[in-house]
Amino acid sequence: MSKAFGGVSALADVTLNLSGGRVHALMGENGAGKSTLIKLIAGVLKADSMSVEKNGQPLSVNDARDAHEAGFRFIHQELNIIPQVSVAENVLLGRDLPRKFGLAVDWNKVKTLAEDALAFLGATHIDVTVPAGDLPAGDKMMMKIAAALVSAEQSEPVLYVLDEPTAALTGEESEKLFDVIERLKTKGASILYVSHRIDEVLRICDDVTVLRDGEFVASNEIPKTSKADIIQAMTGRDFKNAYPKRETPVGEDTTVSLKNVSTSNLQDVCFDIRAGEILGVSGLAEAGQSELLKLFMGIGKIKTGSASYMNEALPGSPSEAWARGIAYIPRERRSEALCLDMSVKSNIVLPHLSEYGFYAKPWLENEDALEFGDKVKLKSNGVLQPVGQLSGGNQQKIVFARGLRGNPRLLLLDEPTRGVDIGAKYDIYLLVRELSARGCSVILTSTDLPEVLGMCDRILVMEHGRQAHLLESAQMTSADLLTYFFTDNEAAV
Amino acid sequence: MLQKLRQSGTLLGFFLILLFFALKLPDTFLTARNLINISQQLSMLAVVAATMTIVMVMNDFDLSVGSMASLSGIVAAMLFTAGYPVWVGLSVALLVGVFGGLFNGFLVSVVGILPFVATLGTLTVFSGLAFLLSDGKTIFGRDIPSSFSGFARAGIEIGDVKVPMLTITAGLVIFICWAILEHTNFGRRLYAIGGNKEASYLAGIKVVRLRLIAFSLTGLGAAGAGLMYAARVASANPTQGSGLMLDAIAAVFLGMTMSRRGEPKVVYTLVGVLILGVLDNGMTQLRVDSYVREIFVGLIVLAAVAVASLSKRRNAK
Repeated sequence: MSKAFGGVSALADVTLNLSGGRVHALMGENGAGKSTLIKLIAGVLKADSMSVEKNGQPLSVNDARDAHEAGFRFIHQELNIIPQVSVAENVLLGRDLPRKFGLAVDWNKVKTLAEDALAFLGATHIDVTVPAGDLPAGDKMMMKIAAALVSAEQSEPVLYVLDEPTAALTGEESEKLFDVIERLKTKGASILYVSHRIDEVLRICDDVTVLRDGEFVASNEIPKTSKADIIQAMTGRDFKNAYPKRETPVGEDTTVSLKNVSTSNLQDVCFDIRAGEILGVSGLAEAGQSELLKLFMGIGKIKTGSASYMNEALPGSPSEAWARGIAYIPRERRSEALCLDMSVKSNIVLPHLSEYGFYAKPWLENEDALEFGDKVKLKSNGVLQPVGQLSGGNQQKIVFARGLRGNPRLLLLDEPTRGVDIGAKYDIYLLVRELSARGCSVILTSTDLPEVLGMCDRILVMEHGRQAHLLESAQMTSADLLTYFFTDNEAAV
Repeated sequence: MLQKLRQSGTLLGFFLILLFFALKLPDTFLTARNLINISQQLSMLAVVAATMTIVMVMNDFDLSVGSMASLSGIVAAMLFTAGYPVWVGLSVALLVGVFGGLFNGFLVSVVGILPFVATLGTLTVFSGLAFLLSDGKTIFGRDIPSSFSGFARAGIEIGDVKVPMLTITAGLVIFICWAILEHTNFGRRLYAIGGNKEASYLAGIKVVRLRLIAFSLTGLGAAGAGLMYAARVASANPTQGSGLMLDAIAAVFLGMTMSRRGEPKVVYTLVGVLILGVLDNGMTQLRVDSYVREIFVGLIVLAAVAVASLSKRRNAK
């Protein structure tokens, strides 16, 4: 199979060859054209020129239906599920549901079909009758893949496109996904795998193609390339170290102190953070990391124990938190952080509007947006561009610019580099280091273990909302950390 | 390019409508007297639509404005009847608007009912109250003090034209709403809430409080319009505001077709109000049946919004 595109501003003359039974990685920084390419194959966007061949036969892909009939299946990064509807119906979405007497929906059949598809993925633990929105992130991904499998009945899928499938998954869930990919591969399907995580790509992919600024840079078989080669191809520059080192010592003053804090989601959390210290919070998915961060934003009530920030009680609301120098970067960029239709400027100054007084002062806002946009190395068409038009990495930089603008004393980062490319990631790490050097304390949650180890001074491992371990990160490896996720609390004594 | 066309399409339509009536009614339509007349007819709708814009900026709605307008007129007239001075009647009626709006805001932002459902409920409540207080009767005649109804007939002479006080009041309200939404940080926050409620809340915007304030402003506007109406007809009737709600929402929607990202703006709402007002005035003069007029106005609103959303979708592609 070969595909050629040309003349699209976001993508120029890119050719991609995929063969059955192989996993092909598509890599590149944000804005490199990966999403555009996928949308073209999916028939969502129209190419200025494009030719698709399948087994030597020309194929026209003009809309989503063509792509589907050609056997292309897409699993997107932002999962489009219908949260109120049961897992089974989500799996069978877009198909006619099986019927009894040609009329009533045959719910037993629906259930069996969905369960069979999930069983093929080894995800028998998922109850297909619960609403899809109640599933943990990893199970949602399994559900989407199952949906892609079920729709295979009409036409044998020849190509699966997975866009950042592990971005929302924990290590364990990712392993399951890799098993599934292996199985799909042996069935003879070809897989286009889009990811920012190089280690993952090196492990499970057979070939890799790298794009940069909408152009084809390199394509190679995985055994013939290396991590360094790929990074070089993606960024056009060498990368010695993925994480900048701490250069200033941690301060003396205590910024945050939690003593045996319990809320409805958290139990017995106990730690201090000093000025400039970076505390990592890790653990399996949804073990209470986000709830811990939100506690500092004044969301969630402390039932027992005591907590202080700058020697006073924790803020009671997000507005008080921002006013007292706490900056928050939520996990879900699109739904929790940004007003997508609004400008870069409005999004950067949003939490700080009160500092401009009663009357709006657009000129001051412009200056600030420019200054902080520069600081985070934002790439946009000016401060008035709607943020929805920017790439994921640049959107995240806007959320960072917003945080920097307040000159924070405490920075809360919930999965700050999720879906962000290597170049932007490094910029973000540098910013975190810079803030820490200025004495700002940081709490960072991440499921990316090397990131936690590379950036944090100490690591809090959580398990079902409980504090399982509090570890010094020096000298630890990912494997060490992972074992702590599954071992019991030694401090229980 | 297409976007520009979409944005200016509504304005173009407005000028075409003006041109049409000017040609059809050469003697009466484009005269100072008729235009002044239109501006006065429109003033109530303008006030309600401008204050409605404040909640619609947050993606909220207020369906209760019409019955609030009726209620405030009735409250004022009852107080006049009971012998209270004019200023007391006006203040209490406006306060009723503020509290009615606050109640809407409470239901929507504190209790968390969808604005459509919450204000549909209060629409009925306010209307029922108006009937209950007035016993379903129109209050008119000697009960309405002339200093109150005289306001609607008064005006300021500019050159040889007399600009009615109602028009001036509407102009002031529009100006204030415009200043609030476009030039204060309060307005900026309302637009942010409309952009993404959850993100605004997490970014430290006091969403609950702002929605309360916004709804109370809309209630205040509705009450004000009710008083203007009562002054103009020198009477109060428990149904007299009922037509305002649909027209106000239609005006905001017409206006939204003109803004860049489809967000409501006071200035564009004013254009929407003018379109509706001019249509009404022109067709009345052409002796078009009022039922036909309603069908026609509905179709025009649908057409404008349909064109806007179609071109928007094409833009997104």
